[in-house]
Amino acid sequence: MSVAQPVRPVPANPLPTKRRMTRKQRRLGLIAAAGAVLCFAAGLVLFAMRDSIVFFYGPTEIAEKGVAPGTRMRLGGLVEAGSVQRGPDQRIGFTVTDGNNAIKVSYKGLLPDLFREGQGVVTEGVFEGAGSFRADSVLAKHDETYMPREVADALKKQGHWQPGGADAPAPAKP
Amino acid sequence: MMLWAILAAMTGAAIFALLWPLSHGRTQGFADVADARSLYRAQLKEIDRDLARNLIGASEAEAARAEAARRLLRAASDEASPAGETEPSLRRRRASSALMLSVVPLLALLVYGLYGSPNLPDQPLTERLAKAGPQQDFAVVLARMEAHLAANPADARGWSLLAPIYLRQGRFDEAAKAFAAAARHSKPDTDLLAGLGEARILEAGGVVTADAREALAEAVKLDPKNARARYYLAMAKEQDGDGDGALSALQQLLADASPDAEWAGAVRARIEKMQGDAGRRAVAALPEGERQQAIKGMVDGLAARLAEGGGTVMEWSRLIRARSVLGEKAAALQAVKTARERLAQDAAALAAIDALADELALKETP
Amino acid sequence: MIVEIGHYALALAFGVSIIQALVPFWGLVRQDRALASVGSSAALIAFALVALSFAALVTAYVRSDFSVGNVVANSHSAQPLIYKLTSVWGNHEGSMLLWVLILTLFGALVAISHNSLPPRLRAGALAAQGLVAVAFLAFTLFTSNPFERLSPAPAEGQDLNPILQDLGLAIHPPLLYIGYVGFSITYAFAVAALIDGRIDAMWARAVRPWTLLAWTFLTLGIAMGSYWAYYELGWGGWWFWDPVENASFMPWIAGTALIHSTVVMEKRDALKVWTILLAILTFSLSLLGTFIVRSGVLTSVHSFASDPARGVFILLILVFFVGGSLALFAWRAPLLRQGGLFAPVSRESALVVNNIFLATACATVFIGTLYPLVLEMLTGAKISVGAPFYNATFIPVMVPLLLILPLGQSLAWKRGDLLGAAQRNAMAFGLAVLAALALIAFTKGGPVLAPLGIGLGLFLVLAAGFDLAERIVPRASGWRAALSRAKGLPRSAWGAALAHAGIGLSIIGIAAQAWSTEAIAVLKPGERLASGRYTIVLESVTPRTGPNFRAEVARFQLFSGGRELAPLEGSKRIYTARNMPTTEAGIRTDGLSQAYVSLGEAQDGGVAVRLYDKPLILLIWIGSIVMAAGGVLSLSDRRFRLAVPKRAAPATAAAQPAE
Repeated sequence: MSVAQPVRPVPANPLPTKRRMTRKQRRLGLIAAAGAVLCFAAGLVLFAMRDSIVFFYGPTEIAEKGVAPGTRMRLGGLVEAGSVQRGPDQRIGFTVTDGNNAIKVSYKGLLPDLFREGQGVVTEGVFEGAGSFRADSVLAKHDETYMPREVADALKKQGHWQPGGADAPAPAKP
Repeated sequence: MMLWAILAAMTGAAIFALLWPLSHGRTQGFADVADARSLYRAQLKEIDRDLARNLIGASEAEAARAEAARRLLRAASDEASPAGETEPSLRRRRASSALMLSVVPLLALLVYGLYGSPNLPDQPLTERLAKAGPQQDFAVVLARMEAHLAANPADARGWSLLAPIYLRQGRFDEAAKAFAAAARHSKPDTDLLAGLGEARILEAGGVVTADAREALAEAVKLDPKNARARYYLAMAKEQDGDGDGALSALQQLLADASPDAEWAGAVRARIEKMQGDAGRRAVAALPEGERQQAIKGMVDGLAARLAEGGGTVMEWSRLIRARSVLGEKAAALQAVKTARERLAQDAAALAAIDALADELALKETP
Repeated sequence: MIVEIGHYALALAFGVSIIQALVPFWGLVRQDRALASVGSSAALIAFALVALSFAALVTAYVRSDFSVGNVVANSHSAQPLIYKLTSVWGNHEGSMLLWVLILTLFGALVAISHNSLPPRLRAGALAAQGLVAVAFLAFTLFTSNPFERLSPAPAEGQDLNPILQDLGLAIHPPLLYIGYVGFSITYAFAVAALIDGRIDAMWARAVRPWTLLAWTFLTLGIAMGSYWAYYELGWGGWWFWDPVENASFMPWIAGTALIHSTVVMEKRDALKVWTILLAILTFSLSLLGTFIVRSGVLTSVHSFASDPARGVFILLILVFFVGGSLALFAWRAPLLRQGGLFAPVSRESALVVNNIFLATACATVFIGTLYPLVLEMLTGAKISVGAPFYNATFIPVMVPLLLILPLGQSLAWKRGDLLGAAQRNAMAFGLAVLAALALIAFTKGGPVLAPLGIGLGLFLVLAAGFDLAERIVPRASGWRAALSRAKGLPRSAWGAALAHAGIGLSIIGIAAQAWSTEAIAVLKPGERLASGRYTIVLESVTPRTGPNFRAEVARFQLFSGGRELAPLEGSKRIYTARNMPTTEAGIRTDGLSQAYVSLGEAQDGGVAVRLYDKPLILLIWIGSIVMAAGGVLSLSDRRFRLAVPKRAAPATAAAQPAE
């Protein structure tokens, strides 16, 4: 820690001389302990950064960057109108597009309340190559006018962004 | 006036309360020694307690007492000498009083002046609804009606009044619910059923859905002459791919109608459009040369009709575009000119025509 | 007129806060007590004015005064009264007003806690607090004014976002704000102490109750928010590691560390520099949270609409207060004197270790929250950091801390006996290990980490209980003696034990979620769906009309192991004003577990249904409530009572030990 004062003698120090530590030693011990924990945490963070971080892509980015099949990622864009197909057993297929490229998404489960054709969506799952994507979660939006920011950015990049929905009141979580 | 009086009183009260401690506050310095002493005593007691509970060893407790005593001494020596009622302290008080008297009201007025609306009274909803009068806001009436129906959901008449309003406002979903509620709470009524069908179709973006068709069929069953239901049923046929059936149903509808029926025009337009569509489909099927010919024929027909007078911006735009696409630049220019003359009264229309002309690069080149 | 009075009151509070920031500070510098005492009256007036302003806005909402833009955008005349009230803070502008209200409330509390604070410290703290109030009043008035008027007034409002129309929201934000705005007081105390140059045990003593108060409310607020997300979002999830959640979680971790480090500071006068830094960092994290939620820099499933002007304004506030206080810290901290000594093995050292781990854990959350933002700024790549990241970083840091927590609790002050402490906890540890082993054997093939987690939670609960028992009944003394000892034990000791047991309970609940199961199917009336221990049978789907919504309500019979529980209802609502659907999950509590049903869309004549079995899930929130109860108990310790006339009875008022 940080003390600029010179070490002062301590009256009536009760600790046996053997175990006595000077302030300096104590401070060093502290720093060593803190350093050890921090190194441990830093290692964990670096390890986790490699394995558990998910990138966000739009359909065009996937096409351009040559994303390898099997990559886990988030995919965002608009749900193409008329593309939603419902199969048996809660299987759902739909197409996510940014106007220039499209990716077929398959998903099994309940869709969030605000999943609609022609609206923005973010899904997380595995890219299977050849324009298809297996989602294991479709993220909820909290408001009918709220556009996930990644989707908005991806659409802007592709020149398909009309503001209007974007500045509408978004929900609050204080 | 009343508002400003209140605001002034608030400002006065706030400044008064701020000034109060300056005139009544104690003048001595900050005596913290007493606090330090009481803390010291508390700490000694605490050490004794911890000792009794074996939370601290005996020799450690002794050391802890010594530490606490050192802290007390230090606190006492740190104590600043108290300042008396001196000339500078009086000056400071005057200065800070002046600061309060100026900063507080000036800032409050400035900020409120920038953002406030002192002339706008409160407008609680109950008050606005109670304010009766012929020039009442339509939306207020609507709100009152909604409130009434929320309380009496079985009032079929109320629902049947509300439903067409929703329909006109484009709130198709709510219109459908209102029609349904009205139909549910009244005797079978063909108009309500037809309205329900219409609302459902509009809600579905023009697609005649199964439940819309159900309502329409029921309406026609009750009253085979119900024009609205028949019109939409014809549309359903058209969407099923039965264009001819739809056409003949509409023509039948038109034939049954009294000539002054206000919707007759709409039906006629629809028939024309369907015939036009059919024609266009036929044209698309023609071989290249004949198709050009056929298109030209249609464009000429349009031109002839417009030449007789009237014509909307849409029609004129269509003609200009068609001429331009067909490469008949002179005719296109002529059409622009005529359109500008005809639509001279309508600024928006003129702007649209000019924009189109720009887009198609139609300029009066000598 | 009421609206305009409220608006003016806010503007007036702005002026008063400037006085609060300037005059007491001047008094402090010039050793003039009269000037310094202006701080107290200014704080009280500022609070009264902001309260008036808030009352005016509430009135506008209750009376559906649609001439106020904020009311139009966030309320509807058909809303039930309770949601008209909660709409006040269910939006950016209104919640800012609540923020400022709580900020000034804390200022006022400091002003009236007359005798429990050294006057210099109070003056300095009120000045610093005043400065924070100036910044946030300016932000509210200039960029987020809730009193903007509309003329002519629209006939109807746009309604509050339906997912926010819920009782959970009624309580969640006020609790949360009391929590992280409450840390502004510890921040103000830290700044005051740095300016005044006096940082000692007295400071720690003055600050501790405020830290405890803020921490207690923050705990409740976070727990409430988590429960709200659990039942309202219809996903069955209770924590998403969402940036907004992290924004409230980081101050909580830092605040927890602060509570512990002030103990050392009060007892030993040591760890001063660190404690002051922690006080500053805790509130800085609160400010960062405000920035994250309100500027739109981070994507979140629930953030306020972004507005660049607001983002820049809050960023300026953030930079000013964080940067300013850290600069002050760098300048003044080296002047601090060193305090008392303690051995490497002692209660104090254990608390230091606690702080090291908590600070590290907080740092991992911080990195996970801000890394995506920095990466996007630098490279343009967009990433999301979710649960896997935190599972791999936060949890491994927390586990050792929790494992050694009971040891620290049994160590003596100044110099402890590690072996003795270990022996004292051996029984609790043994029992917990046995329980974990039994669970592993019983649920073979199941997740292995979950029984270990439950063992850890159990260890904490048992150790807290045994520690209390040890102190009350040291060595086989009679129950009468035990009773009097129990009475004599300071409330803060009970509080600490309770809080630690609360953590244990929460951990048991969290670990048990590894066994939660989920099943999805399309059900027609009469059909059944089973998940885990529960089976539901769809009885009926009926329409229902609420005040401002319509709903399709599905009613289910619920069975568990052959016995029938009370029926359960889930619904899909459409809020008419915004035409927005929401899912209302059907939840049936069965002991500490819950059966949780959420509805999907109607299809093929049936309705899609998701059924979860959530074993012991209630423990997560019960644990949080127990933690908060521990905070309240510590706070009620006699020494901390506010406004106790200390000089009148110094011995009795200040006689209770801290731990």
